[in-house]
Amino acid sequence: MKRKYNNLKRALFIVLVAAFGFSGCKKILDVNQNPNNPDHADPTLLLPTTQAAVSQVVGNSFQVFGNIWAEYWTQSPVASQYKSMDQYAPIATNFDNPWLNLYRVALVNSDLIIKSNQAGLDNVKGIAYLMKAYSFQLATDAFGDIPLSQALQPTVYPNPKYDKQQAVYDSIFVYIHKALPLLNANAVSPGGQDMIYQGDMSKWIAFANTLELRAYLRLSNIDPNTAQAGIAALYQTNPTFLTEDATITYTSTGGNENPFYNEAASPTLGKIQNVVASSTAVNAFTGNNDPRLAKFYTLFIDKVSPVDSLESIPQGSYIQYPNKKVSTPSPLVGGRANDPTSATAPVKLLSAAESYFLQAEAVARGWATGNASALYTQGIQASFDATGAGDATTYINTAPDGLVALTGAASVNAKVKAIITQKYYAMCGFQGFEAWTEWRRTGYPVFWVQSAATTIAAGQKPLRMLYPNTELTSNLNYPGTVPITTPVWWGLANP
Amino acid sequence: MKKNILTCLLLLLLCVAQAYAQDLKVTGTVTSKEDGLPIPGATIKVKGTTTGTQTDIKGQYSITVPQNAILVFSFLGYTSTEQSAPASGVLNVVLSTEIKGLNEVVVTSQNIRREKRTLGYSAPTVSANELTQGENPSVLTSLTGRVAGVNITSTSNTPGGSTRVVFRGGSSITGNNQPLIVVDGVPIDNSSIVSGANSLTAVDFGNRGNDIDPNDIESVTALKGPAAAALYGSRASNGALMITTKSGTNRAKKLEITLNSAVTLSSVLKLPTFQNEYGQGYMSGSATSAGYVTGIDDASDNFSWGAPFTGQVQPWGQQIDGVNQMKPYSALPNNIKDFFSTGFAVDNNVGIASGDDKSSFYMALNSLNSNGIYPGNSDIYDKYGVRFNGKTKLSNNFTASINFNYNKIQGNTPSNGQNANGIWNALMQTPRDIPINKMGDLGNKYNGYNPITNTYGFYGAFVLNPYWVLQNFSNLDDINRVTGDVNLTYQPAQWLSIVERVGVDSYSDRRKLITPKYDFTPADESGSGLWIDETNNGSYEIDQYNVNEVVHDLMITASHKFDNGFAASLLLGNNFRERSTTSNLTSTNTSGGLVVPGWYNLNNSNGPVDVLTDLISIKRTVGFYADLNLSYKEFLFLEGTLRNDRSSTLPLNNYSYFYPSVSGSFVFSELLKNTAIGNFLSYGKLRSSFAQVGSDTNPYQLLTTYGSTTVNGSFGNTKFPFGNVSALQVGSVLGNATLKPEQTRSFEVGTELAFLQNRFSLDFSYYVNDSKNQILSIPIPNSTGYGFNTVNAGEIQNKGIELSLRGTPIKTSDFSWELYGTFTKNNSDVLALPNGVSQVVIGGFSGMSIVAAKGYPYGEFYATTNQTDAQGRTIINPATGQPKPTLTAQYLGSYQPKYQASLGTTVRYKGFSLNALFDVKHGGVLFSDTKSLVDFVGTGIETGGPRFGQPFPNSVYLDANGRSVPNTNIPYSVYNYFTSVISNTPGMDIVDASYIKLRSASISYTFNKAQLRNLPFGAVTVGVFGNNLFLWTPKSNAYVDPEVNSSGAGNEQGFDFAGTPSVRNYGFNLKVSF
Repeated sequence: MKRKYNNLKRALFIVLVAAFGFSGCKKILDVNQNPNNPDHADPTLLLPTTQAAVSQVVGNSFQVFGNIWAEYWTQSPVASQYKSMDQYAPIATNFDNPWLNLYRVALVNSDLIIKSNQAGLDNVKGIAYLMKAYSFQLATDAFGDIPLSQALQPTVYPNPKYDKQQAVYDSIFVYIHKALPLLNANAVSPGGQDMIYQGDMSKWIAFANTLELRAYLRLSNIDPNTAQAGIAALYQTNPTFLTEDATITYTSTGGNENPFYNEAASPTLGKIQNVVASSTAVNAFTGNNDPRLAKFYTLFIDKVSPVDSLESIPQGSYIQYPNKKVSTPSPLVGGRANDPTSATAPVKLLSAAESYFLQAEAVARGWATGNASALYTQGIQASFDATGAGDATTYINTAPDGLVALTGAASVNAKVKAIITQKYYAMCGFQGFEAWTEWRRTGYPVFWVQSAATTIAAGQKPLRMLYPNTELTSNLNYPGTVPITTPVWWGLANP
Repeated sequence: MKKNILTCLLLLLLCVAQAYAQDLKVTGTVTSKEDGLPIPGATIKVKGTTTGTQTDIKGQYSITVPQNAILVFSFLGYTSTEQSAPASGVLNVVLSTEIKGLNEVVVTSQNIRREKRTLGYSAPTVSANELTQGENPSVLTSLTGRVAGVNITSTSNTPGGSTRVVFRGGSSITGNNQPLIVVDGVPIDNSSIVSGANSLTAVDFGNRGNDIDPNDIESVTALKGPAAAALYGSRASNGALMITTKSGTNRAKKLEITLNSAVTLSSVLKLPTFQNEYGQGYMSGSATSAGYVTGIDDASDNFSWGAPFTGQVQPWGQQIDGVNQMKPYSALPNNIKDFFSTGFAVDNNVGIASGDDKSSFYMALNSLNSNGIYPGNSDIYDKYGVRFNGKTKLSNNFTASINFNYNKIQGNTPSNGQNANGIWNALMQTPRDIPINKMGDLGNKYNGYNPITNTYGFYGAFVLNPYWVLQNFSNLDDINRVTGDVNLTYQPAQWLSIVERVGVDSYSDRRKLITPKYDFTPADESGSGLWIDETNNGSYEIDQYNVNEVVHDLMITASHKFDNGFAASLLLGNNFRERSTTSNLTSTNTSGGLVVPGWYNLNNSNGPVDVLTDLISIKRTVGFYADLNLSYKEFLFLEGTLRNDRSSTLPLNNYSYFYPSVSGSFVFSELLKNTAIGNFLSYGKLRSSFAQVGSDTNPYQLLTTYGSTTVNGSFGNTKFPFGNVSALQVGSVLGNATLKPEQTRSFEVGTELAFLQNRFSLDFSYYVNDSKNQILSIPIPNSTGYGFNTVNAGEIQNKGIELSLRGTPIKTSDFSWELYGTFTKNNSDVLALPNGVSQVVIGGFSGMSIVAAKGYPYGEFYATTNQTDAQGRTIINPATGQPKPTLTAQYLGSYQPKYQASLGTTVRYKGFSLNALFDVKHGGVLFSDTKSLVDFVGTGIETGGPRFGQPFPNSVYLDANGRSVPNTNIPYSVYNYFTSVISNTPGMDIVDASYIKLRSASISYTFNKAQLRNLPFGAVTVGVFGNNLFLWTPKSNAYVDPEVNSSGAGNEQGFDFAGTPSVRNYGFNLKVSF
């Protein structure tokens, strides 16, 4: 009996270990379903991603590069984060982040929306087409030739080739034209998932038209015939243009703040004030006795001297330590690192003022019908409204760069100069990238200087951004580094 | 086949016949004196006859002998012993080891104990005694210099600091390169989870492989190649480190208590060499301009670019309440050194062991309490451990055993890196004339921060007072860990054994990262100086990591010894493993920070709480394996293994994979016995092995997924939900449903030789390891819309030689002198990368990458540097005198050393013992942010001497034809160079990582039995010891201990980003046994 019991135990032991060891392999191993992330997403959830990504690019890295290269801001003497911009010596890695956000966040998610088979997505797809058009324009204006036809198809084209900037512009118009019929007020509205216009399709139609006008005007030097024809065709549709800014309303909630402020307030930058007022812009505003000056910049509060003052340093003169008293960009533009109200500053993808100036330019060039002076005046007033500078009438009538600059202009070029110079003032701190871009197209304004910290030849300034390092190291079709002094296709060689 | 069976039968008959003729059956167990463990395969012979047997896997034997026969017990590596057969028939024998370093029994995979001579691969073993010589609380660090072919890097050499161990260069491009750590047959986790946003702000919480107390360890064996570890499968493709803990020995039930106490003091091993000529201030203008101004005095500055020292008494720092502090304007050479205090640690271990031939146990309690080199109680590490190892042999051929270990670890680790909380970063920026070491009294208004007025009086506007940082920032962790296994062995017959073992490693690592909230304005009233506000929103982060591993093994072993000298054993095994982990990282709102200062709770979040990480991961593998061992007599051995693994992480059609290994050993000295050569050559063996190991990957790599949207800027981000808008984005990594297992192949050939009765010995190996089909997440162009593709690609090869030498030039009964050394040369080469990819980044930051680049060794630095001509002279821009940067990044050398070597010695005289061990690494490089920092602020030795009017050292400019013209007259601004120009050439902060270290040294005295006659002690040893004692570096490294690494034990190495400084430790210890 005892012996039997022992045998039983042995048998049990063997059976147990065998059962444990050899039991249904496949079932045991079927644990590779990701419990952390879904493998499908509703396209309406992708829409805010595309908008926030574009806004992050315009409102953060392009905001810094643009405002420094447009000489509104310069590197603070007591910090060092953006020195290489003032040195005109950016390195390829400086552009990794905006490129990533454009392609890997804004564009790929727009594309997934557009390709979705889900029903009732007309409005969402229409907006996605516009975000795609906007993103590609942003990318090509910054970098020139970029991947387009082979982009966003990783399995077919693991190394997307770069398309000519002209082809990119052709596609931008296609995307806008595809968007328009989808922006149908009777379709299902994305509502709050549209962070810019909360599903208001009439505003998106105005956005589409304004974007198209901007894109055609960009071709004014390189291909005026296409620009003129395109604008004429656009005006034949009786287009509405933007009368309010295209912007995401940022809040003071952490992570939902203005991207540039959020960057400065990050634990790494620790609210260090990296950018300060550049004398280039400040002197120009001062010369016109412009009340917007004190809106775009914050006065320097002096502990010793009784008078607070607006102080600036010459562009790129951080190394000289000329003056420890320096004004900073204001919280209105999100530029004051240690002022939490910077958090709610808007990022303007397109602004109302810009819309008027674009129309004014189209009229001034004779490519559209309308009253250039009225549009110009409306543009200035829209800028005054946006900054809370009040009624612009006095300024318009007395400032040397005011209405007189337009009305006194004899040539088309002189008119364009007046319009772009005013657009430059309106874009201070809000749309640095666009101001730098319009300068590259028109050469206006004319009062920019070369940065004191320049590392490139005398008289030269940055005319493009560098392709990012990530493309250099990962794309077999990388076209080679193009120096920042080479103009893009539509740009002037010597603005 | 038939013939064999017949032979067996005949043999059996013969035995039976003999049994009738004799009448005494002797049984017993043969155990090792050193560890009390049974010795399988020991030979028992009747003296004067050819009759004999061998012990089985449990060390047991049974032999029938004539009355009064003398039995000879022998086993290679042990001293033979002769005993007469007792009438009782029970004879247990304890064998003691002969000469160390040769012929030992080693612990191989699956805890199988094998005679070293039978192994076809290198398997060096380090004994408990060697391991604890330097009293280093890290068992991994303690292996440094003791084993050839192993590259060990100990980041800070402090208790709780990281240690990276790599055998033969590692095998993986982006995955783990460290060996599997196995304790008593059961793999344990060796994660190194670094806290901090990135490697520039890392906090090193050590690696879990260091948790085990070295005092509990009996021996450590390094199975360096995959051949050695074939039975552990995928996880051991980088080799395995087999740790055997102590067990109760055959002590005739006597209880033995061993107490080991050590008191350790610590100090910083290496500080940068500073200039002592210039003080606080900055410069203006350029060296060539007429308005060039030197040394503008600025009381708030972190720069030492001021005027040359004058010794004049003058005001400094902030003016508070109308008063400035005064001090002489002169250098304080020791202001940084004296900031540090002496670290202090107490390490206690009590081990209790007992046992007889049936049962044994070992239990231990240990504690380690350490307060590091930073002033105050900010760098704390407390570890407590309990161990119980027990084993009992039951009457019905079952043996049950249990190993259990519990650890409790609590600590606070000051931050590395460049954030506000980086102590080293703050300290290195102290001007040469600022008495930072005397600014620890934070009640002093010139030193501290006033939370009522929210002002600060500290002199520096750009960094915080490091004393205040130490008091107000913390990185706390709390680890609770259980490891152990239960083991049941059943031996139904002499030739058959079945082992069932279940092992567990389970721990929770809970961290709290605290950043205070503050907004200080300068107290200064003078209006001078570039005083700026110091502000931080504060944060509180809780990181919870859980790791659970369950491993089951069932092993059936059958063995048979044939009478013609052949022996065979076959092991069949099944393995099941599950690893499940969770990580939950939650913090107060990243940009909003805290609402109320000083309250560290997620409820105090200013804005939504940020879920930084919420991950669950489960991986399972099922393996079947076979191991066949064949031997002929005492000199020819052959082993073959075959394993099949099935992994949950691979696609169903590729989830099962086989891999083989074969190894052989030829002990040719057996054939030379009693020859002239044999008298000289006491032992000689040739060995060779070939192995292939398949490897799976991490879970969830087959599909592309979506995640909640975060749009990252360079430092900030836009995070969803945005108000009440939710968003998803497609993941950056493309899934791949066609993944295949990785494959590592290794070949090894080697020899072991011993001369003159084993007085001198050497062990040499040559190996080639090749890993391909690596599962890599390779960067793809972002223009594809995705960032990474998961692919099978890439090949990395490591070739090298290893040499160990050991000799005892003098050996008398009272005096012995032993020397030992190792030499290791490993050539790593990244042979292939996926189509179109020239390199894969494994670490670094935007301007300085550490990469695996095709055609280069693993771990190559890649960055822009100064242009040089063919003769290595720096090319300058003749307009400015400043060096020109290279237009593209350059390959600047690997963190892997060209060779490593060590030399150690042990001298014994009566009770005295003296040990010393030096180790060398030659030829690697590291990136030193410490260099960058001390040069930037003008405290580094390079910034001393004339600061303007001099041409850049050894420089040229290019003439119109591109020819080099030596530059003798174009000056450059040293200030501009180090504060501005060099920031475009991070490659200039690469320094030679070569070093020689006195790794450990000790002197001890053991009282002999006669001295202790009237005392209750069995043995008493007292000693002084030190580890990491002295460091010699090339002149070019005037900055940092080359072992310092900011990101712990991962693949990102040679990265001094203001990391925790390493320390030298020294102290005394006492070992008493009762």
